[in-house]
Amino acid sequence: MELKSIKDAFDRVVNKQKLSYTKTHEIIQMLSQELDKALSILQEAPPPPQFDHRSILADVKKTFVENQLEVTEKELNVALTKYPKVLEKQLNSDISKAYRHNVEFDTHVVNQIIANFLYRQGMFDIGDCFLAEIGDESECSTRHSFVEMHQIVDAMEKRDLKPALNWAASNSDKLKQARSDLEMKLHSLRFLEIAKESQNSQAAINYARKHIAGYADSSSLYEIQKLFCSLLWSKNIEHSPYSELLSPSRWNNAARELTRQYCNLLLGEPSEGALSTTVTAGTQALPVLLKYMNVTASKKKVDWQSVEQLPVAVELSEEFQFHSVFVCPVSKEQASDENPPMMMSCGHVLCKQTINKMSKNGAKSSFKCPYCPTDVDISRCRQLHF
Amino acid sequence: MEIDDPVTNRNTDAVMSESAPPFTPSPPVPASRLAQLTESLKLEHQLLRVPFEHYKKTIRANHRYLEKEVTSVVSSVGDLADNNWSKDVTVSRLTSLVSRLQGLKRKLEEGSNVENLQAQRCRARIDHLDSADAENITEWNNTKLKRILVDYMLRMSYFETASKLSESCNILDLVDIDIFREAKKVIDALKRREVASALAWCADNKTRLKKSKSKFEFQLRLQEFIELVRADSYKQAIHYARKHLTPWGATHMNELQRVLATLAFKSTTECTKYKVLFELGQWDVLVNQFKQEFCKLYGMTMEPLLNIYLQAGLSALKTPYGFEEGCTKEDPLSQESFRKLALPLPYSKQEHSKLVCYISKELMDTENPPLVFPNGYVYSTKALKKIADKNRGEVKCPRTGLVCNYTDLVKAYIS
Repeated sequence: MELKSIKDAFDRVVNKQKLSYTKTHEIIQMLSQELDKALSILQEAPPPPQFDHRSILADVKKTFVENQLEVTEKELNVALTKYPKVLEKQLNSDISKAYRHNVEFDTHVVNQIIANFLYRQGMFDIGDCFLAEIGDESECSTRHSFVEMHQIVDAMEKRDLKPALNWAASNSDKLKQARSDLEMKLHSLRFLEIAKESQNSQAAINYARKHIAGYADSSSLYEIQKLFCSLLWSKNIEHSPYSELLSPSRWNNAARELTRQYCNLLLGEPSEGALSTTVTAGTQALPVLLKYMNVTASKKKVDWQSVEQLPVAVELSEEFQFHSVFVCPVSKEQASDENPPMMMSCGHVLCKQTINKMSKNGAKSSFKCPYCPTDVDISRCRQLHF
Repeated sequence: MEIDDPVTNRNTDAVMSESAPPFTPSPPVPASRLAQLTESLKLEHQLLRVPFEHYKKTIRANHRYLEKEVTSVVSSVGDLADNNWSKDVTVSRLTSLVSRLQGLKRKLEEGSNVENLQAQRCRARIDHLDSADAENITEWNNTKLKRILVDYMLRMSYFETASKLSESCNILDLVDIDIFREAKKVIDALKRREVASALAWCADNKTRLKKSKSKFEFQLRLQEFIELVRADSYKQAIHYARKHLTPWGATHMNELQRVLATLAFKSTTECTKYKVLFELGQWDVLVNQFKQEFCKLYGMTMEPLLNIYLQAGLSALKTPYGFEEGCTKEDPLSQESFRKLALPLPYSKQEHSKLVCYISKELMDTENPPLVFPNGYVYSTKALKKIADKNRGEVKCPRTGLVCNYTDLVKAYIS
């Protein structure tokens, strides 16, 4: 896809339109001038012979009888017709081709999802306006939780860590279980604050002893070392090697982590937001589905509208992999409860049905692994649990 | 650097400075991400096409008007030149022509200003597509989601929320609020059983509709005819048919005959074939037809963008595991509302195994291969190594509690 050709085609349209404007302006101007001239001649001169003013006007008429606009208009038309063609060539002109028309989304559910999204983003008045406009009597149940969350985040923006620390403390167990470093982030920010405002470093050290020491045996050790070293430059951190400790991005990161954990732990929602995740996944999946539709359209009519599984594989990027999916390299089938993955003695893994097939082909009690030439004993295959 | 080679010795300095590798400030973006980005930009046809169609329409309408006016002025001049009018009449006519031209000049300016604004909007969208790159992809996707939501709200006619959302997110240039408002006017009129606005819209877009051989105007005229019949104004109905329906007779004779036959029936007729023509549901059919013609004209999809993306996304994410009880909350399908939407959709299909470690939630691939406990439970090497290092080489399966030595674990090979 070349954005450049789109830009060029559009530039051409704009240029031709400017030309057309100039030309039209010119013509109207000339016409106006000629008529003015004719008018002044007629008004000033003594009653001339009758045919005089006619000849003047005849001249005017001659000059304008051809439509001089034609050439510029034609060029403009060409440019106007070309641009949509360029668009259709470079972009996918109909992304609804992969849409299943027999599936209706419950508008009420969709509206609730949208309202939830708006509240999560902190757009409370827009969310309220939305619910009012759709005339939905029901309120979005998560509204007050998001209000609370945004109060904490807003406080952090004003550099007030108290609400955040309180929340983190009251959810400390859940945060630990989720292996989140939120508490460590918040405490280090508070540490730097104390170090900045107090005269000596004692207050900061006391704070660290109380709240940060507990994290010393985790991966945060390096972070703790940096924090303590920065105390050496307590009056001058901006000019020290640790100036990045004061950067606002640390605050942003902490706020982001808080939002993620709040959604995940308290509300049981995906940390990046369900709607954003789904739409981004859709953005990755659509090109694949559309390509498939384009390719199969010319061949037999696949009953796309009622299949159980997508006819084409969509490989989403890593962040969308939430579950382990095992695909047997031989049969290309996804493992299920009835067809679990089995590991052979050589370490290679096939699904159960493939193993059964391979051993029945001769009703042997052992067969050769398709990857390495080891002999595999069926009874020694172990079922795997991912 | 070969110091024992006397021939190149003299050049080693130059060679050394040239062979220093260029400093790369950031890691190279994987080709797959860039390819993904390009593919996602290709989905944005509607974004660029809609304002352009509007722009084109304005240009053509302005041009038609100006051309008509200029030709009329020139022909008036010609008329004055050819005929024998008196001097006074000529002078007065010329004066009026001159002032008409002044007015025309003004109109040209105004028209050009409107066209420029619309061109700016088109360009703003091209620039927006241009601005997407691997660095700001999350933010760009966030804006995209908001655009998609505004599109949904406009289609459902929630204009207030759409405007508020567009303003607060600064995406007014990227959404088409005014175009949807124009459509709503026509739809509302049709719902009130008035065809006037719809006919005006058809007249506005005559050339495009003719090119696509649309019979929407014909359907509107037919409906007006039926309404006249319903009101028992037969004479008016026939007069109307003579005026407006006959031009369509050449191409749509069958339909014309069918509808004209309603003259023979009363609106309360029980004859099924003709009863259906009198039903008020026909107006809803007209509304749908209008929507179709409208979307086709502007290059928009009939369905809201949100539905299209949701369907694709939900299908791609739908796995049987997503519906289980202990499903991870990171999966959008763990949410009740998303499960409801995904129910009638097909499951995702994968061609390659992708395994996620139960402990660390990281991918288990060749850099982090899966290790198997004696009881068949599998976790990633990195996660188990961490546990083993803390527990003197012992590892415990988090799900079954089985304890064994790190060295007893077997590596699994997943292709």
